[in-house]
Amino acid sequence: MRIVLDDVRISREEWSLSARGIFTEGTHLVSGDIGSGKTTLSLMLAGLLKPSSGTIGREEIVSRMISFQFPEHHVTGSTLREECASWGIDPDTVLASVNLTGKEDFPPLKLSRGELKRLHLACVMAKQYDLLILDEPFSSLDCREKERICNDLSLCTQGITIIFTHEQMQFPRVDFIWEITGGSLCSRGRLPDALPAWEHAPAVIKKLIRRGNLPENLTQKDLMEAACRT
Amino acid sequence: MQDIRLRTGAAILLSLAAFMSLAGAALALAWWLIFTGRFARIKIRMLLPVAGMLAFFSIVLALTGGDGLSYFFRMMVILLIGFWMFAGHKSGEYLHLGVWLLGDRIGFELGMLADMGMQTMHLLTRDSGQIRVAEQLKGMNAGWRNLAPAGFILVSGALSRAESTAEIMAARGYRDGGSFCPVFVPPVKDMLAGAAALCVLAISFIPVSEFFILYC
Repeated sequence: MRIVLDDVRISREEWSLSARGIFTEGTHLVSGDIGSGKTTLSLMLAGLLKPSSGTIGREEIVSRMISFQFPEHHVTGSTLREECASWGIDPDTVLASVNLTGKEDFPPLKLSRGELKRLHLACVMAKQYDLLILDEPFSSLDCREKERICNDLSLCTQGITIIFTHEQMQFPRVDFIWEITGGSLCSRGRLPDALPAWEHAPAVIKKLIRRGNLPENLTQKDLMEAACRT
Repeated sequence: MQDIRLRTGAAILLSLAAFMSLAGAALALAWWLIFTGRFARIKIRMLLPVAGMLAFFSIVLALTGGDGLSYFFRMMVILLIGFWMFAGHKSGEYLHLGVWLLGDRIGFELGMLADMGMQTMHLLTRDSGQIRVAEQLKGMNAGWRNLAPAGFILVSGALSRAESTAEIMAARGYRDGGSFCPVFVPPVKDMLAGAAALCVLAISFIPVSEFFILYC
């Protein structure tokens, strides 16, 4: 199971993004500045946007899902019950898991962005996909929710999970790091060896590396372990 | 057509001509083909449902003794003119038109409302595209059952946006009217098209018998 990007390029007026590489099974983190093309690349990987040139091969991928940054873009039901059912999952179970029990007949678009994001991610994570693409999954969430999502994502061991984010505080356990820099997608490799080359690394990670304490991974536990290492 | 005054004027004249008579509709169609060149750019997916609805009413009209075929043709031409008018919209141009036509108070208000309405139309088109993508991702089959929730989402989204806009305008101290200097740069081609639209309406008003003196 893998995704092969063969000289993929997309351009709009003066802006362009080129990408080549292979996404294998595991969790991939793609970072980059705002406007660098993370969402564009995520749409191309999901097959919702065609590249200007090059090809994207999806090998042995049967089921796929993309989670957009804005959860309202996924809403197709006029009530929370309908919305959960549209994902093919039991409304009572998923609503209880995000503390929305009793709001079954509430319109999804009347929820706050954070509540809707929480519900949306719970619906996405309730199923397993061969390819799961998450575009800014931590936006609109508070620290506690980010931590919960990170824990859930860290438990994902099957298929290919690609997380596009510019988050600097909370991360799940990831296997590979990529970043978009200078209009190109660059692979930084497998963790922890990828960390020193990661340009968009959060300040705390850069500081730990400067001190010679390379974290094993990006979770809070890994960072704490590295920080306490003597 | 870049000049909103000429585009709106031409659309009104041509719609009137098409509505008045079959000959007017034929001339308006000829105008549309010559001056817009949009035949290849028509989105059949958007046109078909409206054309289907028109066909239904035309059949009902024909069955009740009216001229259903003529009605269908005339309305289709008006529809094409409407699509052309909608597709050529640029943000803010109705504000220019409104202020030019009716001044800084009523013109400003009406122009701004028209622009907001057009913006809402564009956003509704975008939203319905997003709903289709979401349905596709969830593996939902497109069908009549999904239409009601989709309609609800579109309407509630539009109302929510309108409420937010109103709140923002109130917070910024908006009461009514405003000062605005409209600017228009009508190209020669636009003026020619405008004059041609006027001719279409004039010809559609003149009875055919006035042109041809028939002797028995």
